[in-house]
Amino acid sequence: MSAAVSPLEQMVVVLARDLADGELGAAGAAALVPMAAIALARELHAPNLTVGGEMFFNPLPGHLYPSMLDDRALGRCEAAETFIELFGHSHHGLDFFFHSGLQHDSYGNINLHHVGGTLDAPGMRGPGAANLSYCHTSTRFYVCPTVHTTRNFVEKVDFITIPGHLSGPEAKRAAGLKKEGPRFVVTPRAVMDFDPATLRMRLKSVHAGNTSEEVQRHTGFDLGIRGDVPQTPAPTEEELTVLRERIDKTGTLRA
Amino acid sequence: MNDQTKPTRRSKVTRLQDAAHLARDALQERPELCLGGLFKQGRPVALVRGLLAAGAKDLHVYSSPGAGYDVDLMIATGAVEQVFIPGVTLENRLCPNFRSAVEAGQVTAHALDALTVVGGLMASAHGVPFQPIDALRGSDVLKHNPLIREIDCPFSGRRIHAVGPIRPRVTFLHAQEADRWGNLRHLSTMVYADQLMARASDMVIASVDRIVPDEVILDDPSRVTVPSHYVDAVVEVPYGAHPTASFPHYAMDEDHIDAYADLGDAARTGDRAGLDDYIARHVTRPKSQGDYIEAVGGAEYFARLEAETRKR
Repeated sequence: MSAAVSPLEQMVVVLARDLADGELGAAGAAALVPMAAIALARELHAPNLTVGGEMFFNPLPGHLYPSMLDDRALGRCEAAETFIELFGHSHHGLDFFFHSGLQHDSYGNINLHHVGGTLDAPGMRGPGAANLSYCHTSTRFYVCPTVHTTRNFVEKVDFITIPGHLSGPEAKRAAGLKKEGPRFVVTPRAVMDFDPATLRMRLKSVHAGNTSEEVQRHTGFDLGIRGDVPQTPAPTEEELTVLRERIDKTGTLRA
Repeated sequence: MNDQTKPTRRSKVTRLQDAAHLARDALQERPELCLGGLFKQGRPVALVRGLLAAGAKDLHVYSSPGAGYDVDLMIATGAVEQVFIPGVTLENRLCPNFRSAVEAGQVTAHALDALTVVGGLMASAHGVPFQPIDALRGSDVLKHNPLIREIDCPFSGRRIHAVGPIRPRVTFLHAQEADRWGNLRHLSTMVYADQLMARASDMVIASVDRIVPDEVILDDPSRVTVPSHYVDAVVEVPYGAHPTASFPHYAMDEDHIDAYADLGDAARTGDRAGLDDYIARHVTRPKSQGDYIEAVGGAEYFARLEAETRKR
């Protein structure tokens, strides 16, 4: 491949590989990376994957846009729905969804409301979030922020907007969160998953060009690193070619 | 009965300024205003500007679950007391005046979620006392959300949530077309919650890109998204959604919104002159939509936004 793999391209490929043929899912609010991942999966191994649950079915964007809620980004799509159908999808759940926020913590909880202070007197007020249901009515979700620093990866979030694993299996059970919740956290530096016993986040693999020590240094909590951490499998020739030539035609993921 | 005394059907076509005064007076009775569209798509921004110019105050603002520019502008002009919208963001950046006002305690931003807002509008539209919700778990939003209650499901016995009717005093919508009776046609890909809001509200005022002949509606009734029964006034406003999009007629104006957000960020750091000047040039000074179009950049500028929708 001519140009080096960008961190966002690596994220897209990791996420795309985990989406299966025949599933139903949607990209969420910060749609760039998830939308590319869904499109790549559909091109490569999941032609029967249905994009739905966000008021449109199976869009065919001409190229990647940062927001999916833009008629230009939809390009053409097969059908449109309204918030009434979204109310139903939110109860029935999807197979997968994507989230990211201002803060992410060691149990995969996500904060979009405030950093510092209280909700009524916030140090910094965030945007909030619309859909708080797909994170626990859907089979699973992915956390995919496009930055990874000690500022947005903190031991405990100031406010739980999107529940991940709360404070572990017991808290999750008590709150009635019955599905898998966050499966992977994919960032420009690494892939994290969750210890099945404690549901605490741990380092799974580091992307090419990063070391586990660096990833730990940019994370505000212990990633439970024991011994050597594998490298994230690099994109294949085919994955990169399809991604660049058919999905990200304008090179947004490399900008 | 002769022709002179026979009542005739009343056209709902209204001038922008008259519609704004109608809304302002209604909102003085009860300040609940609801806005159609979503984020930067199909927002009734000309009606919002008209309302701000008419001098609305202490508004309680509702919307489809995601809003940005228009709500931020309303806050910048000091017209808002409470925000009942789950997500307030410009998507690529935060809403500067929303942030400032909430952090300073000048505006209350309630913690809500999409199902609460949609469910509340559903209860109102359907004429039932509440809408059950069974898909809210584990979020801190549930500790603060003022619109929901926990109830026992009468069938399963499970603890679930209920939201009462959200009944806006006034809803503003933007559609691409209407006839003079107020039958609306959204030509955009998605219609968001506009149909639900129309059925949930006391008063509905719609801006449209153009009024079409009656025959256009009669030839294709299934294309009508909001029947005139729900609509109180319809206003033909060229580029009435600007700087948000009105597909397929014109695209969102991201440059305009970004420049506005820069002024809002400057105001956050103490320099409010640029923001005040923006409000004067776009909200208070224009006497008509024609003035607004000139202030933004004129016909040539808007032709570019039209061309953008054909690119894809």
